[in-house]
Amino acid sequence: MKRPLFGFPWRSERAIREEWEEELRFHLDARTEDLVADGATPEEARAQALREFGDIEDARRYIRSLDRAAEAGRRRRNVMGELRQDLVYAVRKLRACPAFTVTAVVTLALGIGANAAIFSVVNGVLLRPLPFPRPDELYRVWSASRSSNRTTVPASSPDLEDWRADRQQIADLGGYWYADGGSGLDLTGVVEPQRLQGVFVTAGFFSTFGVPAAQGRLPREDEMVRGGHDRVVVLSWSFWQRQFGGDPSVIGSSLTLGGEPFDVLGVMPAAFRYPAEGIDVYVPYSTIPDHEIPHIRSVRTLQVVARARPGVGPTTVETEMSSIAARLAARYPEDKPYDSATVRPLQAVITGPVRSGVLVLLGAVAFVLLITCVNLAGLLLAQASTRGREIATRVALGASRARVARQLLTESMVLALSGGAAGLGLARLLVGALLGLSSGQLPRSREIGLDGTVLLFGLGLTVATGLLFGLVPALRAVSGGMRGLLQDRGGGSPGRRTTRLRDGLVVAEVALAVVLAVGAGLMARSFIELLRVDPGFRPHHLLAANFTLSTERHGESYGTFYEELIQRVRTLPGVVSAGAVKDAPFRGMGERWGFTTPGMVVPAGEEGPTAMVLHVSDGYFHTIGARILDGREFTPQDRADAPPVLVVNETLAKRYFPGEDPVGKKLFTGADHPVTIVGIVADIRQAAMDEPATPTIYVDNLQNSRVRVTLVVRTVGNPLAMARPLRRAIWSMDPDQTITSVFTFDDIVSESVARPRLLTVLLSAFGILGLALGALGIHGVLTYLVSRRQREIGVRLALGARASAVERMVLARGLVLGGIGVVVGLLGAIALTRYITGVLFAVAPTDPFTLGGVAAILMGTAALASWMPARRAGRVDPVVSLRAE
Amino acid sequence: MEEGWAVAREPMDLMQGTLDVLVLRALDPEPRHGYAVSRWVRDRTGGVLQIGDAPLYKALHRLEKAAYVEAEWALSENNRRARYYRLTARGRQRFKEAEASWRRYAEAVSKVLDPA
Repeated sequence: MKRPLFGFPWRSERAIREEWEEELRFHLDARTEDLVADGATPEEARAQALREFGDIEDARRYIRSLDRAAEAGRRRRNVMGELRQDLVYAVRKLRACPAFTVTAVVTLALGIGANAAIFSVVNGVLLRPLPFPRPDELYRVWSASRSSNRTTVPASSPDLEDWRADRQQIADLGGYWYADGGSGLDLTGVVEPQRLQGVFVTAGFFSTFGVPAAQGRLPREDEMVRGGHDRVVVLSWSFWQRQFGGDPSVIGSSLTLGGEPFDVLGVMPAAFRYPAEGIDVYVPYSTIPDHEIPHIRSVRTLQVVARARPGVGPTTVETEMSSIAARLAARYPEDKPYDSATVRPLQAVITGPVRSGVLVLLGAVAFVLLITCVNLAGLLLAQASTRGREIATRVALGASRARVARQLLTESMVLALSGGAAGLGLARLLVGALLGLSSGQLPRSREIGLDGTVLLFGLGLTVATGLLFGLVPALRAVSGGMRGLLQDRGGGSPGRRTTRLRDGLVVAEVALAVVLAVGAGLMARSFIELLRVDPGFRPHHLLAANFTLSTERHGESYGTFYEELIQRVRTLPGVVSAGAVKDAPFRGMGERWGFTTPGMVVPAGEEGPTAMVLHVSDGYFHTIGARILDGREFTPQDRADAPPVLVVNETLAKRYFPGEDPVGKKLFTGADHPVTIVGIVADIRQAAMDEPATPTIYVDNLQNSRVRVTLVVRTVGNPLAMARPLRRAIWSMDPDQTITSVFTFDDIVSESVARPRLLTVLLSAFGILGLALGALGIHGVLTYLVSRRQREIGVRLALGARASAVERMVLARGLVLGGIGVVVGLLGAIALTRYITGVLFAVAPTDPFTLGGVAAILMGTAALASWMPARRAGRVDPVVSLRAE
Repeated sequence: MEEGWAVAREPMDLMQGTLDVLVLRALDPEPRHGYAVSRWVRDRTGGVLQIGDAPLYKALHRLEKAAYVEAEWALSENNRRARYYRLTARGRQRFKEAEASWRRYAEAVSKVLDPA
């Protein structure tokens, strides 16, 4: 059905009512007249007519409700009809100016796509609940020592047993020992012996999570304690798939782990990836013999997870844990310093390291979207005023202003939805790229994707965007000014209000771009600072292989095997030098020992100083390119039968031997055991690139040996080319030796800065996008200005103004707008950048270099964007422009 | 069958359906206003079916909403504005269906009552 462009007024409620009353009146009158004609008196006739009619009130109610429903339906159809009309009109209009439409849709797609992509990360990493039942009841718990200000210390297994026994408000808790590359087990008795990534778990670990096995069953409590049948193993889903192809018959069979048979009890579900990706097996902690990790209070290796009873909050959990810890500290001398506990929600612990970075990104993309909106509002505004006559004509022909506004809003919605659809397509690609870029850097990365929540977010964003950039022109269309528009013949100068509004949009756009660029600039500066950090070693040409020596095969002579292996590797062609360390930099933190210096008195009950301890071979420092500041490094003469010696790092030397030369002095480690310091090595960063070294003691592995070894070789050429010869050398000495991983030091440095690099790349991308959009905005507005003021410019030129003066006028306008935007933006940036302090390294959030640089770049961009319209203004031909009238 | 009895004992939809069929018939072939429909029903049934005017108007409006009839204001015999109802094509179709099913129903009842 063809409807008139602007619908006729609807029937009002009152009209509906009166129509029925008239019908009723007619009926009663007609009946009365007929009865009077038959001889009744008028009163009798009236009374009978009423009686015959029956319940008037009931009929009235019924008919009114029918009419109302019919009318509502009509109205709805009318609105839908208008909407369809608006849509058809909008699509036609947008297709009529493809340049505008494409610009708008592409801009929107970028804005919405970037937002949806980053939001999918926020959603997957930060918002979605952890894949455990009632995840908000889960906590991580640490021992804490108030006296030595250490808040996140692992627990010992006797402590954990006491915690479990004394718990009240805590439903359950359990511990685990896991070290990436450290807590492994050799799987033998299969075709290819291999090193498995294992987690050693205590009783309570599985029950705390409450995740049932996907196949088979989980160990009972009595299967996870010493003396029980604790040679049992639970497989991770990925290991089960990789090793056994998901064969359920493996359950009940036996695996040889570390030379001993373990019964396979069950398989965890695929979604259970705690405490890390790439876990192969879960084995009871009780199977670790005392000669590897003693089960005593002073040996703290266990990370602890706890589940609160329903309705119990974090403060209650913390109070209870701290009071238990305080009781234990009073009872056991070894626990004395650890009189408290730290409790944090599990989700916060898992996502904590990336939380601020991800939120900074979300803030940045929100700015991109705001710029997009401002840009589009400017474009639509320019469009709306060229369409002023069309709109004015429609209003003059009887369209209500609301109707016109709705039409304009429909247009912007159609734009927004097209942009949104394209944006979600783009987001799919972006998420893929993002996951590639961030491999290994984001926890829960497998939970990132465009799910329903993200799609809903994208849709909401699209609608909000459409409203935001469509509202300004729509409101302007309805708020008067129609007469002016009708008179406007397209050649005059635009109204003052329109100009001011458009100028305001440009200023806003530049300001937003400044904030974004400052964020990107700070991140880039901070990343450069990070790369300039001296880690204490020269990473190029270093290859490392990480493995654990077998005491089963080599017995007590594993030290000899270790020594011979290093000697053997040194003779390989292409190897400059070789050494070994327990944990490569950024790959582990060694051990933590207490120590004292001569003359130091530690008050009873307090903990003395501690240091990180790394077991190294002779030649390690030389191989990695560390500098010996004083004394010497370990030599092949520092053997088990020689006097024990130590090397300490610069930080320890400066802190505990201020103003002295520590070389030749003694340190007391363990039970008052004096060891001579023979050398001082320049600080080597061990935790991360952005974390300064802590006091560190290096021990010769032949004097105090450990089975975990990272063999490091300096190569002549490409270090990866040495990977095969290195493996072959190891296997030529022990064919059953499993190798956990082989990597280059360049890799570990690169991994260590991967997160800031990712942030830098993304923020820079958003910054450039913002800059480009901002430039586009200035350019668009000035171009429009020049075209609208062509006549005025023509008159000026005709009256003798020089072209260069006209050019200067336009350029000045662009620069003034840009300048105001830059000032506003810098103020905004100073107010906002303190929120990104958490992700910056060695750069102040108000770094003047960055702020100045960004201001210069933005002003340059503004000048460039103004230059082309200015040139066009200078080239206006007065004759043509005047004739255009 | 008296109306009171029908309202009290018969299911409402049967009553509505019956009334609707009568009203549709009243508008075939020429349009009538509400009072004319009322008179026509009274005359045709000879008073056997005593139908109140209120249910009649309810039926007219209900049929209008269902688009079986269309209403239009026009001048009556004695020159007053009256609301005339006219059968639509849809209404005529509906009447034919209803008529057929009523005849089948009546036949069936007759067969039962007639000892053949």
